[in-house]
Amino acid sequence: MKLTTVKFLIGQALVSIKRNGMMSLASTGTVAISMFVLGTFLLLALNANLVADTIESNVEIAVLLDADATPEEINSTYEDIVALDGVLEVTHIPKEEALDRLSRQFGEEHDLLQALGGVNPLPDSFIVKVENPRMVGEVAEVLSRFNYVDKVRYGKGLVEKLFSILDWVRWLGTAVVVLLSLAAVFLIAITIRLTVFARREEITIMKYVGATNWFIRWPFFLEGLFLGTLGSLLATAALYYSYSYLVGYVAASISFIPLITDREFLLQVLLCLLAGGAVLGAVGSAISVRRFLKV
Amino acid sequence: MIHLYNVTKEYPNGVVALKNVTVNINKGEFVFLVGPSGAGKSTFIRLIFREELPTSGQVIIAGKSIARLRPSKVAVLRRNIGVVFQDFRLLPDRTVFENVAFAMRVLQYSQREIDQRVPEVLHLVGLTSKAGNYPYQLSGGEQQRTAIARAIVNNPKILVADEPTGNLDPETSWEIMHLLYEINKRGTTLIVATHDQKIVDAMKRRVIALDRGRLVRDDQEGGYGL
Ligand SMILES: Nc1ncnc2c1ncn2[C@@H]1O[C@H](COP(=O)(O)OP(=O)(O)OP(=O)(O)O)[C@@H](O)[C@H]1O
Ligand SMILES: [Mg+2]
Repeated sequence: MKLTTVKFLIGQALVSIKRNGMMSLASTGTVAISMFVLGTFLLLALNANLVADTIESNVEIAVLLDADATPEEINSTYEDIVALDGVLEVTHIPKEEALDRLSRQFGEEHDLLQALGGVNPLPDSFIVKVENPRMVGEVAEVLSRFNYVDKVRYGKGLVEKLFSILDWVRWLGTAVVVLLSLAAVFLIAITIRLTVFARREEITIMKYVGATNWFIRWPFFLEGLFLGTLGSLLATAALYYSYSYLVGYVAASISFIPLITDREFLLQVLLCLLAGGAVLGAVGSAISVRRFLKV
Repeated sequence: MIHLYNVTKEYPNGVVALKNVTVNINKGEFVFLVGPSGAGKSTFIRLIFREELPTSGQVIIAGKSIARLRPSKVAVLRRNIGVVFQDFRLLPDRTVFENVAFAMRVLQYSQREIDQRVPEVLHLVGLTSKAGNYPYQLSGGEQQRTAIARAIVNNPKILVADEPTGNLDPETSWEIMHLLYEINKRGTTLIVATHDQKIVDAMKRRVIALDRGRLVRDDQEGGYGL
């Protein structure tokens, strides 16, 4: 490709953006709005996922040991549980600590131990976290058959219900994002088709004077790339600032909700949106031109 | 230069626009294509610059059958064929100069070559003073001159014109026809579809007459006929 040609093609793209002012504005706006809406819901879905993950990772199993287990037996059980597949973390809670916790719940003024006649009825216990919260039932089942294990509690029934709700949240998030992506692609493709359609005369004339197809396509490709990038840049900038503001607000007022604050991850997500808009614009216009090249 | 062998063109809707037409046109000829409306003149022209393909038969240009050209070769073919239409088909948002230069840019000529060649052609068609005008600032004749300048700026060997004077008054029509004749004298093969009886009769050039898709007459120094 000659330098004159490169200059001409880029110039051609810029000039046509200027000439087709309204159309350029419309496509940029369409890309910006679609990407903003998509991005909003993407961040929403990602945060919902994070909340779901956090809730899931808080699921744990309480393993109550036989009240008469000796320290050696407790120790060997501890080792066995730690060695068990799928177990992430085991915390030992000696019976004294368990009683402490319980008394604290009753209030400082009561001396629970004395009320119980000086005998601590609570057994030693372990708090077990599992690698995959979905396996909590299975792991609990295995643990219940261990020696010296009296009872295993993990909120049976409740946990399963919780998981199905979380599944539903994740699924809904994904579905909404996929649908919105399709809507964005559709909207952007239509707008670009319109801008190309507005210039079918020009394309036909180019064909008549012997322009090759790629020569006709390039300016459209560049134009689409430019408008797509510009539109999604606006969208991502708006998303970035509004999200940062929102995160600050939520952190200050409803701090128990975990939000994605990892700047690097956020930038990656926004970068994906940006690239998506750019590619959509470029490929969309290159494809739309094709229809008019068959002269 | 241009050979049509037993060409039949049937459009997808079933209309047979040309039927078994065989024509030879030599290099440097000036040919009028006449016939009543719907005779197939535009179809004939479209076949030559390959806007349409024949349903059967062969269209051979400069020794090559154009039926199975790849898209890039179609582009090359069209660089050797200038086209002029009744409705000018100029880009409304570009000046006369840019409309003509457009055809050169498409073929990747340098700015220097463009700056040299375009004024030459504008001079030839008599539009030197209108180089900076936009199409809406031009008369019909001037618009057609611009279109002709664009069609010949790359020195095509063939120029086809479909009713180039169809939208013009008789006097302007004559000017345009003279211009085409000038271009023909410089060696370009010309094919002009027209309804302009007076011009055809006066110019005494070869006349190919079509009627309902059939070739009905081919006179070397013909008139428009009845
Ligand atoms: N793209 C097309 N699709 C279907 N039919 C067509 C098409 N173009 C032309 N025709 C038909 O083919 C026949 C010949 O048309 P053509 O345009 O070649 O005639 P013409 O001689 O140029 O007429 P005119 O003098 O009115 O311009 C007509 O019956 C027309 O309706
Ligand atoms: Mg016609």
